[in-house]
Amino acid sequence: MKKKIKLSDMSMPVKEPLIHLEGKDLMPLPPPLDNPQEQAGLAPLSPQVVESCECFLDDTCVVNLPQPKTREEEKELVGKFLSGLEKLFNRENNWTFLQPLVLTMEHCTKCQTCSDACHIFEASGRNELYRPTFRTEIVRRLYFKYVKGGGLLSAWQHGDIQLNWPLVARLVELSYRCNLCRRCAQACPIGADNGLVARELRKLFSQEMGITAKELHDKGSMLQLKVGSSTGMNAAAVKDNVEFIDEDTSERSGIEVKTPWDVEGADILLIHNAGEIVAWPENPGAFALILNAAGISWTLSSELAGYDSINYGVFYDDAQFARVAIKHAEAARKLKVKKIVLGECGHAHKALTVIADRVLTGDLNIPRESSMTLLRDIVMNGKLKFDPSRNDFPVTLHDPCNLVRLMGIVEPQREILRRLCPQFREMEPHGVQNYCCGGGSGFAIMSGNNFPDWRFKVSGRKKLEQVLNVFEDCLDPSIPKYVCAPCSNCKGQFRDMFAYYDLWEKHRILYGGLVELIANAMVDVQPGFLQWEWR
Amino acid sequence: MPNYEAGGRVYEVDEDGFLQDPDLWSDDVAKDFMSTEGISELTEEHWKVIHYIRNYYLQFGIAPMVRKVCKQTGFSLKEIYNLFPSGPAKGACKLAGLPKPTGCV
Repeated sequence: MKKKIKLSDMSMPVKEPLIHLEGKDLMPLPPPLDNPQEQAGLAPLSPQVVESCECFLDDTCVVNLPQPKTREEEKELVGKFLSGLEKLFNRENNWTFLQPLVLTMEHCTKCQTCSDACHIFEASGRNELYRPTFRTEIVRRLYFKYVKGGGLLSAWQHGDIQLNWPLVARLVELSYRCNLCRRCAQACPIGADNGLVARELRKLFSQEMGITAKELHDKGSMLQLKVGSSTGMNAAAVKDNVEFIDEDTSERSGIEVKTPWDVEGADILLIHNAGEIVAWPENPGAFALILNAAGISWTLSSELAGYDSINYGVFYDDAQFARVAIKHAEAARKLKVKKIVLGECGHAHKALTVIADRVLTGDLNIPRESSMTLLRDIVMNGKLKFDPSRNDFPVTLHDPCNLVRLMGIVEPQREILRRLCPQFREMEPHGVQNYCCGGGSGFAIMSGNNFPDWRFKVSGRKKLEQVLNVFEDCLDPSIPKYVCAPCSNCKGQFRDMFAYYDLWEKHRILYGGLVELIANAMVDVQPGFLQWEWR
Repeated sequence: MPNYEAGGRVYEVDEDGFLQDPDLWSDDVAKDFMSTEGISELTEEHWKVIHYIRNYYLQFGIAPMVRKVCKQTGFSLKEIYNLFPSGPAKGACKLAGLPKPTGCV
């Protein structure tokens, strides 16, 4: 039976989780996943982790923060947290996000409209810990008590909170229980942004305390700034891989494909999420095929970070964000291209086209465009011939949050699918009302401990329900089905989640990008570009 | 840093159970780590995949693309999953002594 937790529980100095997630408490799934086997909770954490790490929030652990050895160490960390918190509310230190953050602190009326909008809260069986305002209310109380000076009257008006190490340690983990999809912010009548609060907490932990998820920092942005890509590919490795992709695509399509590298003065610098090159080579392959056929002047760059659009700083750290965004713009400036086009990666879109606007000045402020609009123009301008009957299978579209809700790029990808996929069908809800895949804010690449269990059972549950519902009439494995997800991170989540629930083996539900469907329908390409095999 | 013991040897591993120092790899590592990947015997086919991945890593400092592993070894992805149940990126890389793959892969 689930116990209702209180805000004050977060400060409890006990070395045990505040909640346990039991399968029967979670939101029920539709058929075929409505059987009792799907009712198990999360696998237990290893004794080693429980003994050494701060993992006393719920049944999982992302950050693996070592437990402090002494009281002094704890005190020092709490001090750092407090000075970091003050910085978050100071124009000099947080000019980027101060305004929406203060608005969220000062004006929330606790109407809970946001709670109904949150897929994690709903999927967890409405567990208080995951209520979007739970995390925010703790930060709000700390804000009124410590940043605004507090006092008795303030504690009475805004509620009190005990600041100690257990609270800070639990907040670290709780800042990684939100996908930053910001559906809550969209639903809020006054625009309070609980997603931003989670993100700003992560920023505080990273910038002020050196506490990060290793996948985002050490093995993410740091690796990217060191060797050129978060995948670890240096320039030689990426060129070797793309050469292989060119051969593979030529073979598959029957059209000789050559990817241009470092072409000075090209119209377009295309930047892929480098994960595509490593894990989903048919995607960059299809891009090359389409752009070449359309006669576009384009190039890839082999500059440091110029071939990897990821910018994980958007999920946890402003400084890392700016470092990477500048590298991207510098790669474009060096090649004197007219604009940068982002491949199929949601967070890279939002990072470079929107947020970086505040970082890129002067000649670094090079025009940036989404591949969605470019591809729409190519498909709709009539230059290329398409045979939609090659895509005559059920196709649905996943809306990556960063691309759709948070940038408003809603229609171009749909125009393409309506034109090229006779059995295109929408999930409900969709567009800017979409649900996150459950892998948002970098979760898709976090697979430490039992966190994948949480991703597939909780954060991905709502999307899983949507996918099962949209294919309700054609779950039979004799009918191949395609979830089009124009985002690397979302694809990673779909791949792992579909494998977890065996949806490919049992029901032939496959996932993939948008360009693969375009290439598959091109008349000049030999039939069968899209291969129905697990990837 | 956690340790992993097998075959009378002690290895330093990372949080995900991958060999901490990829330079310390030998065929023994693959044999000692196979049980953590649910593999009971390393066949010639396993070795073909492991050695291909290992050699690629020594050349480029990263794991090869999955598609490349399939093409170069002649195994389909399904066959590779049969050999290494947790897949090429996790299972096969672990046995070949590579760090866990990073980035959006």
